[in-house]
Amino acid sequence: MAGMELRRAGGMSADTLFRRITGTGVLILFVVLTGLVVAFVGYSNPLWTIQSPIDFLTSSTWSTGTIDESGQIVDALYGASGALFGTVATSLIAVLFAAPIGILAAIFLVEFAPPRLAAPLTFIVELIAAIPSVVFGLWAAGDLSNRLRDTIEWWIASSFGRFLPFLSEDPESPAADSVFRAGFLLAIMILPMVVAVSREFIRSVPISLREGYIGMGATKWEVIRDVILPTARIGLIGGVLLALGRAIGETIAVTMVIGNAEGVPSSLFQPGQTVASKIASNIGEASGEIAIGAMAALGLSLFLLTTVISLVVRVLVRRFAVTGGRA
Amino acid sequence: MSTPVASIAKLLTQPTSGERARQRINGGMRVIVGVSAFLAILPLIALILFVILKAAPYLVPTFFFNNPLDKEPGVLNAIVGSLQLSGLTVLISGPIGIAGGVYLSEFASPRVVATGETVIDVMLGVPSIVAGVFAYLILVPVLGFSGWAAVAALSILTLPIMMRSTQEVLRLVPQAIREASLALGVPVWKTALFVSVRTALPGILTGVILAFSRALGETAPLLMTARGTNAENWLDFSTTMNAMPIVIYQYSNAAGDLLIGQAWATALILMVIALTINVLVRGRTVNSRTA
Repeated sequence: MAGMELRRAGGMSADTLFRRITGTGVLILFVVLTGLVVAFVGYSNPLWTIQSPIDFLTSSTWSTGTIDESGQIVDALYGASGALFGTVATSLIAVLFAAPIGILAAIFLVEFAPPRLAAPLTFIVELIAAIPSVVFGLWAAGDLSNRLRDTIEWWIASSFGRFLPFLSEDPESPAADSVFRAGFLLAIMILPMVVAVSREFIRSVPISLREGYIGMGATKWEVIRDVILPTARIGLIGGVLLALGRAIGETIAVTMVIGNAEGVPSSLFQPGQTVASKIASNIGEASGEIAIGAMAALGLSLFLLTTVISLVVRVLVRRFAVTGGRA
Repeated sequence: MSTPVASIAKLLTQPTSGERARQRINGGMRVIVGVSAFLAILPLIALILFVILKAAPYLVPTFFFNNPLDKEPGVLNAIVGSLQLSGLTVLISGPIGIAGGVYLSEFASPRVVATGETVIDVMLGVPSIVAGVFAYLILVPVLGFSGWAAVAALSILTLPIMMRSTQEVLRLVPQAIREASLALGVPVWKTALFVSVRTALPGILTGVILAFSRALGETAPLLMTARGTNAENWLDFSTTMNAMPIVIYQYSNAAGDLLIGQAWATALILMVIALTINVLVRGRTVNSRTA
């Protein structure tokens, strides 16, 4: 709209030059994205000469192999199922905690809190997002992790651990690090994002919808349950997915508390690894194009996961903008 | 005295049991959402208090002015390195991102806008470790572990942030003042630069500062590019550089209370810088919005 009119008014060479210069900025972004795709596909290619992508996704053995008499690497197998399991487990745990608390907190901020309280609370929640992830990792490794082990983790393990295999733990000697604790830390880290996005979408529900229902005698909670949540639903789902994408890619904080153990852990309360933490802790030792290829393959899978999530969120939010909510 | 009218009035004003249950649920949910909001800010309070507590004993003046191998160890080289890496990152990604944002807002056809916004969304979702691996695969073999490789990785992460924020604030500039400028015969490029961008400049600069803050806190991409060093490095981006996140990560794994204490102290410095930037920038944005 704006662009069309400006363009019609243009035509002078200085204008063309300016348009080309600014257009280069967009072009560079396209080139960077293309470069990322080409580099990860290209560098991961050598790996597929010794094994199939199926092995990569399903095997839990990560072995650089041995060198035989002729100097050839034999028996190398790069299976990422342990890391993929850790990524899925930690990010689902994160969303499990962050989604309900974040959405309810956003409801409080928009619907219940008096303006004098809502503004500073919103500000404080946004500040959480400004704290560098390495500081979260340090805090978790030094304090939070042990507290979780002795409280929530202990409670879950002693309540459900006997009959649910993935939730078992030896109460006498809990592991030093665990997948669960990494997931819980991620929940804290993605919480501001869930709150911020939920708040925007809850706020965008037209005031007339609320007033209509209140006029029929509904209580505040009934308005939220029957009007606001259904209307904002797609946006809320989008916000949670966005936070999920953030959790999947988070690296350093997870690396500091998950224990970086190979394979699929027998329980969520055992140490494990995620795709991102595996890259961070293994890339320094990777040498040779096949080992580097395995690292690129890990990076590629992270990239594909987060890209799919970004695109799904984009489609969802677009649909929200079209079908209503925002009036 | 009980007339029929009075008893009807009583029936109407007294809540029924169903009504009471609804009110109870409403009260209960009010408590639950309030508690959730409290739970949402609890970690920030706990984290800040704990970091201050752990860092305080190690935050002596020499810590800011000495380097790791000095007799009284400090993290001057990491502070300097972090500022240089983040500074150069916004110097590179800033102009490119702002230019792209201007193009998307002022010139691009709807189809280019849609494509550009999709690419920005995808790039915003790229995990920092992916940018780090990219620089590690492409640049480190050529340039070695270096500030340049780190700046490249950080720029990949800040570029879409800059472009998105520029485009968003330019969208808020009223169309009427663009038209007024064009009607006066001002060329399109001057209108874009001295009317649109000029009006949106505070918002654009906010985006630059937030991108700087984001670059300051990144860790994973730095570990595989700038890598860290004990030496002080001023403006030599062709070799290894230290940075606060690198120090925090490496010292946290180190043996000995002294190094771990230094990790906490560095974390406090980094956190204070990041929070101060955000408080200043966001506080200002809130004020200008209400004014």
